[in-house]
Amino acid sequence: MTGFIPLLKKELTEQWKTNKVLILASVFLLFGISIPLSYKYMPDLLKLSKQPINFTIPTFTAGQTLAGYAGNIGQVGLLVVVLVAMGSVATELRSGTAVITLSKPVSYAAFVNTKFCALSLNLIVSLIVASLVCFAYTFWLIGPSDVINYVGMNLMLLAFLEFSLAVTLICSCLFKSSVVCGGLSLGILILQAIISALPVIGNYMPGKLLDWGNNLVTGVDITYWWSLGITLALTLGCLVVAPQVLKNKEI
Amino acid sequence: MTAISARNLSKYYGPIKALDKLNLEVPENVVFGFLGPNGAGKTTTVKLLTGFTHPTSGEAWVAGEKVGDGNLNLKAKTGFAPDVPAFYDWMSGQDFLKYIGELHHLSPTEIKSRSAEVLELVELEKAAKRRVGGYSRGMRQRLGIAQALINRPKVLFMDEPTSALDPIGRKEILELILRLRQNATVFMSTHILSDVERVCDSVGIVDKGRLLTVSTVAALQKQYARSVFEMEFTENAAGFVETLKKIGWLADAAMDMSNGKPLVHVRALEIERARKELPRLISESGLTLERYELRLPSLEDIFMEIVKNG
Repeated sequence: MTGFIPLLKKELTEQWKTNKVLILASVFLLFGISIPLSYKYMPDLLKLSKQPINFTIPTFTAGQTLAGYAGNIGQVGLLVVVLVAMGSVATELRSGTAVITLSKPVSYAAFVNTKFCALSLNLIVSLIVASLVCFAYTFWLIGPSDVINYVGMNLMLLAFLEFSLAVTLICSCLFKSSVVCGGLSLGILILQAIISALPVIGNYMPGKLLDWGNNLVTGVDITYWWSLGITLALTLGCLVVAPQVLKNKEI
Repeated sequence: MTAISARNLSKYYGPIKALDKLNLEVPENVVFGFLGPNGAGKTTTVKLLTGFTHPTSGEAWVAGEKVGDGNLNLKAKTGFAPDVPAFYDWMSGQDFLKYIGELHHLSPTEIKSRSAEVLELVELEKAAKRRVGGYSRGMRQRLGIAQALINRPKVLFMDEPTSALDPIGRKEILELILRLRQNATVFMSTHILSDVERVCDSVGIVDKGRLLTVSTVAALQKQYARSVFEMEFTENAAGFVETLKKIGWLADAAMDMSNGKPLVHVRALEIERARKELPRLISESGLTLERYELRLPSLEDIFMEIVKNG
């Protein structure tokens, strides 16, 4: 992948200069802080409403709180990942910077995959910061939880988000419009979420990783190894195919 | 030595022949103008020769490198300045050149010295530390050329380098192109005839995907000069023009009164015969001749004639 280092350096600087680092980290951190708080104080908040409550307000366990955090990151966080990544190649195609960069001795694979690496790094750092804050807050407000299982849940979340990132990146190589890329990526991810909910076939879909993560922190012993294998293979496949898609596009 | 060589290079989009069997040899250290109307196949040719587009058939070599999939040596030896160069607006001009230098695997010392050289060449030294987002159109065009030169390319491709510039910006870019000839072959695609006339050593005229001719501007003018005679008279020459129209070795004759005096244009089919016979015919007409000349056609005249005759 000729040109990998200077391209990665440029991508990381660009993420910093265009505030992409802050956007992703802020959203993830928001969930890391707000979920333990809302789960802890939900009963008190409902009582303050002074409306008659005809059901028993549950007291959330630490595992349920951490699963709630993962659920929010898996939905809203996913949307932010798509928004941040959807223009990564498309914007360069539209503006013409891709033409200048690719007229230099750099490979298409380096051009596309450095974007994935830079966004992944951003994603990993944001996830680490948010998950540490969430774990600490949950421990402090609600109670202890198993660290190993929590790490496992975050790895599942990361694998799912990396898959979403790779899908968005390949869509970004297809069109010059960021909006079209974003729409297509979300369409694909929603479709896989629907299929994930189906019996049998759903167990093989990337979306099942979120269920596995929840199972880990709530103490349910159901695993989805096929889903993990397929997710990793699909992510890798997207990274191999995306440069070829761009090359065939004849920019 | 040949800087650019193409053999039967073709690019078809379904039934549309964007470029059809291009055969071209461009020698080293010349400014080659690739001329044609919009949609003639100029940009397709540049894209093919720079490796951005895959040919339907045929092959090409640039700077001794075969043009094809992923030949990074080709990109290391060439430079490309697009018609509307785009940059990362958050970078300064200097940052951008550093980035491009790194992509060319230049050492930090080389990047520093080469950036200073090209910035001086394009007269952007003073704006080097300013953000590109604040550059004017002309400055962006010049930075586009600077980035294409950072690796000392053997062949520089320029796609419509002056198309969007004002007269001052155009003059500056053309002067820069003339200076570049000392160190590189410049392949310049354009539809602006006056630019070609001014800076190009040789020219290729393309239309509807076909290369119609390749020659020097001077040779083209000599070749096409044969047909254009101009005669200015004191009296009305309408009768004389009618006489000329009936002569077989003349293609056509017309009178123009726009300058207030009768100006007769004559295109000859047989140049030598016309040179001998026309003075005699003028003498026999009894008209008072004020001016008589075998006019060199402008590149525009030649271009129109070549494209018209296909």
